[in-house]
Amino acid sequence: MAVFQAALVNEIEKLYKKKKALVAVLLALAVIVIGQLAIVGVRSGFGLRGAGSVEFPMLVLSVVVNTILPLFTALVAIDSFSGEFSQNSMRITLTRPVSRFKIFTAKITAIALFILAMLFLLLFFSMLAGFIFNTNSATWVSVFQTVFSYIVSLLPMLVLALGVVLLANTFKNGISVFFVAILLFIGLKVLGVLFSQYSSLFMTTQLDWYNLFLINSFPLGKIIRQFLIMLGSCIMLFTAGFYLFDKKEF
Amino acid sequence: MEKIIEIKNLTKLYGNGRGIKDINLDIFQGDIFGFLGPNGAGKTTAMKIMTGLIRPECGDVTIFGHSVTEEYELAMEKVGCLIETAESYSYLSAFDNLKQLARYYPDVDHKRIDEVLELTGMIKYKHEKPKKFSLGMKQRLGLAAAVLSRPKVVILDEPLNGLDVEGMIAIRKLIQHLAEQEQTTFFISSHLIHDVELTCTRIGVIYDGKMLNVESTPNILKNYATLENYFVSEVERNGRVSSCAS
Amino acid sequence: MKFNKKTAMLVSFTLGTLLVATTALADIASKSGYDQLKDALKVTAQQCSEKFDSYTMDLSIEVKDNGKTLESSDSTQKYDRSKPASENINSGSGNQNNGAKQYSYSDKTSMISWQDNDPTYYVSEYTNPEERQAGFFSNPFKESSADDFEKIADAVVGSLKDQVVVTENSDGSLGLAGSLTEVQIPALVNAVVSLQLKQQFNGNRKDMPHLTKDVFVKEVKGTAKVNKDGVMESILGTAVLSGKDEQGTVHEVSVEALATLSEINSTTVTKPDLTGKKVVENITNENPSSEMSNPEKFMGKFKNDILIEKDNKFVKVGERFVEITQIDNKTAAGRYYEVYKPGFEEYATAQRDFKFAAKKSEQQGNPIYDITTESMNTGKGIIYFDQNGGKINFNINPLSNGGLQFDSNFSPDLD
Repeated sequence: MAVFQAALVNEIEKLYKKKKALVAVLLALAVIVIGQLAIVGVRSGFGLRGAGSVEFPMLVLSVVVNTILPLFTALVAIDSFSGEFSQNSMRITLTRPVSRFKIFTAKITAIALFILAMLFLLLFFSMLAGFIFNTNSATWVSVFQTVFSYIVSLLPMLVLALGVVLLANTFKNGISVFFVAILLFIGLKVLGVLFSQYSSLFMTTQLDWYNLFLINSFPLGKIIRQFLIMLGSCIMLFTAGFYLFDKKEF
Repeated sequence: MEKIIEIKNLTKLYGNGRGIKDINLDIFQGDIFGFLGPNGAGKTTAMKIMTGLIRPECGDVTIFGHSVTEEYELAMEKVGCLIETAESYSYLSAFDNLKQLARYYPDVDHKRIDEVLELTGMIKYKHEKPKKFSLGMKQRLGLAAAVLSRPKVVILDEPLNGLDVEGMIAIRKLIQHLAEQEQTTFFISSHLIHDVELTCTRIGVIYDGKMLNVESTPNILKNYATLENYFVSEVERNGRVSSCAS
Repeated sequence: MKFNKKTAMLVSFTLGTLLVATTALADIASKSGYDQLKDALKVTAQQCSEKFDSYTMDLSIEVKDNGKTLESSDSTQKYDRSKPASENINSGSGNQNNGAKQYSYSDKTSMISWQDNDPTYYVSEYTNPEERQAGFFSNPFKESSADDFEKIADAVVGSLKDQVVVTENSDGSLGLAGSLTEVQIPALVNAVVSLQLKQQFNGNRKDMPHLTKDVFVKEVKGTAKVNKDGVMESILGTAVLSGKDEQGTVHEVSVEALATLSEINSTTVTKPDLTGKKVVENITNENPSSEMSNPEKFMGKFKNDILIEKDNKFVKVGERFVEITQIDNKTAAGRYYEVYKPGFEEYATAQRDFKFAAKKSEQQGNPIYDITTESMNTGKGIIYFDQNGGKINFNINPLSNGGLQFDSNFSPDLD
C-alpha cells in the first residue's frame, strides 16, 4: 500500500508540475467568466433572468461536462500514458520496485483526482460567481442538489478517462489517440441522437446523468441501472487497459 | 557464495530473428559482472528482461530468489538500474526527479538524495531541469538514480555513455567503491572493453543472442594479453562455428 | 501467481461485460415514463382515427397572472366517425369574442357555423365528400415526417426522459406525472423559451402584464391519465413564467392547459335544425373543388359592357352577352352575342353571334370548360365558372383580337 501511495503521490506531483493542469484550471475559470458575462449580457440585453444563483453552477456544469472537462480529461489521460511511452520516461517508474498494476492504478487514480479537483474548482467558482452576480434563488435543497450533481459527474468522466486510457494503450501515437478519441466522442454523440432509445448505453449521454438526481421523484431504478452500466464499463475498460499496459514492452 | 541473480533458459526472439536464445547465467554476491557483446547481440534485451521492461518468452530471472516476472516488487526491492538511456522527467528538477524515486524506498530521505548527487558530481545542478542537461549530465543523473536506494544489485547498461574521461574515472571509482564497501553486486554491459577489463571481476560474452563463455577476469588475463584479444577470439571462434554450421 | 493474474483479469473483464450487458438489456426493456407517454399518445391518436366510432375532445386553456385569470378559452370537439360528422364548440373569456360561444358543425357535405349572440347560421355546402373526409381527424403519427419529428423530440428531451413518473392503479390505468422546476430545466432551454414567451408579454396588450426584467421559466408541470386500454383520457399541463414589469412588481404568469378525451363511443353529433332560422349560404372557398356544387346556378344570361375610347372618355357602345342554356358537371352549352346601342351601329361591323358547346377540361381543380363553337371553327377558348364571385370568364381567341378591348369577365344579368 505504501508503494501504491508513493506511485500515486508521484503521479499527482507530475500532473501538478506540468503546465497542462494549470492551463486546464485557467480555462475552467475562463468558462465561468465568459458564462457569467453572457448571463449579464442576456439579462441586460434581453431582460431575461438567464440564470439564478443556483442555476448558474448548473449551467456551467451542463456546458463543461460536454466540452472542456472531457477534453482535459482526455489530454491528461493521453499525457499520462502516451506521453510517457513516447519519451521513454515510463521506464523511470517501471524499473522501481512497484508492480505495473500499482502504476496503472495510481495513474488512473491521479486522473480521477484531477477530474474531481476540476469539478470542485468549477463548483466553487461558479457558485461564488452565482451568488455575487445573479439573483438569489438558492434554497438549501438546491445548493445540495448542485453540489451533488457536480460530485456524481465524476463517474461518467472516469468511464471516459478509462476509455481514453485504453486507446492510449492501443495506439502508439498520442496525437492519433487524441483524434480517435474525439471522433469516437462525436460519433457516440450522433448515435445517441439517432438511437435515443439506447442512448443510456453511450458514455457520451451518461455525461448528463447528474440530471437524474435532480428529478423530484428520484427515479432510483434508473439511477441504479445507469450506475451499474457505468460501473461495468469502468471494470471492463480498466481491465482491458491494464491488460494492454501489462503486456507492453519498453 | 550466495547467488544473487539467476538467469535460467531465458529466451526472447523478435520478429526479425534477433533476440536472445536460452541464456543461463548466475551472478554471485560481490561480482562486478561485465556483459560483453557486439552491437545487436542481445545485451539490452537481456537486461530489459532482468528489470521487467520486457517479458521473456520462456525462462525466468530471479533476483534474491524472487522471480522478476511474478514477484516483481520483491525482486526489484534491492535493485538499482540504468537501462539503455538515462531517462528523467524534463519538467522536474534533478532533485525532484530523484525525490520521485525516493518515495518508493522508505529509508531514502533528502539527505541521501544530496549524497548521490554529490557522488555523481551533480550537486551543482540540483535545482536545474534536465531539459538543459547534456547527455553526460543526464547519464550522471541516471547513475545517481540507480544507486539512490543503496541497492544490493546494480544493473547498468552502458553506464559510461556520453561521459567525459573525468566522468568515466569517477564512475569507475564509484563502482569499485560500492563493490568494496557495501558488497554491492554489479551487472554492467559495455562495449568499452578496456573499461570492462579495469572494472569487472567476471566477464560473460554474448554473441548472436547466445551466451558464449563466462570467465573471471584474472583467468582470462592469464591466457590472453588483453581482454580485447579474448573477446575477439571468442567472437571469431563462434563466428566460424556458426558459419561452418550454416 | 501468473496464472492467478490472468484469471483475475479474465474474471473481472467478464464481470464488467456481463454487468454492462445485463443492465443495458434491462434498461432498454424498461420503458421510461416518457416512452409510456409517447405510447399513450400514439395509441390514442390511432384509436381516435381508426377505432372509436365517436368521442369528445375538450381542450381548455387558462392564463393567469398572480392567480388572477387573464384569459381562458375552451373548445369542445365532438366526433362521430360513423356518420362521419363533427361538432365544435369554442368559448373564451378575455380578449376573445366577448365571451360568445361559437359553434360549428360539419359533415361530408356541409359545414354550419353559428354564434351565441348572432342568430345567423352560416352554411357551406361541399361537393366532394371523399376529399372532405380526408380533412377529418387523421393520425399525426402516420404522417411521413412523424418518425423524424419523434427522433428530434427524443433527442431534445434527452436526459429529461426520466422526469415522467408513472404510477399504476389497481384497475390497470396509469397516472403519468412530471414536473420540472427551475434547477431542472436546462438553462439554455430556459433562456430560449423565456425569450419567446417574453415577446408575448411585450406590453402590446393592455390586459397582459408587460414583463421587462428577470424573465424565466419557473416551473413546468404535467399530469396525464391513461386508461386501461392505453388511451389517454386527460392531460394537464402547467407552465409558470416569472418576471418583473417596469415598476419592479413580480408577476407569475401561469398557463394551464387541460385536454380530455371522453364519451368514447357514446358521443352524439346532431346536425342543427335550420328550419325557421336565418341562414346565409356561402360557397366554400377554402377547398376549391374541381366539381361545382349545383352548376345549374350558372344557367342564364351574363353580360358586360362594350367600351370604346372617344374624346378622352370611355363611352359605352353596347353589351356583350353570354347565355348559358345548358350546364352540368361535364358539359355546357350556350350562345354568345353582342348588342350595340342605337347611334353606335357603326361599331357593330364585327358584331358576333354564335352558339357554343363546352366540355369540362382535363385540368384538375377548377371548373374550366373547353369551348368548341358551331359557327366558327377557328374558335377555341375556355369558360371558367367562378363559384365564389358568381361570375364567368369567357375567353375565345378571335374575340380578343377585335378592334375594341375585349373584356372576358361576365357578370350575371339579373335584370
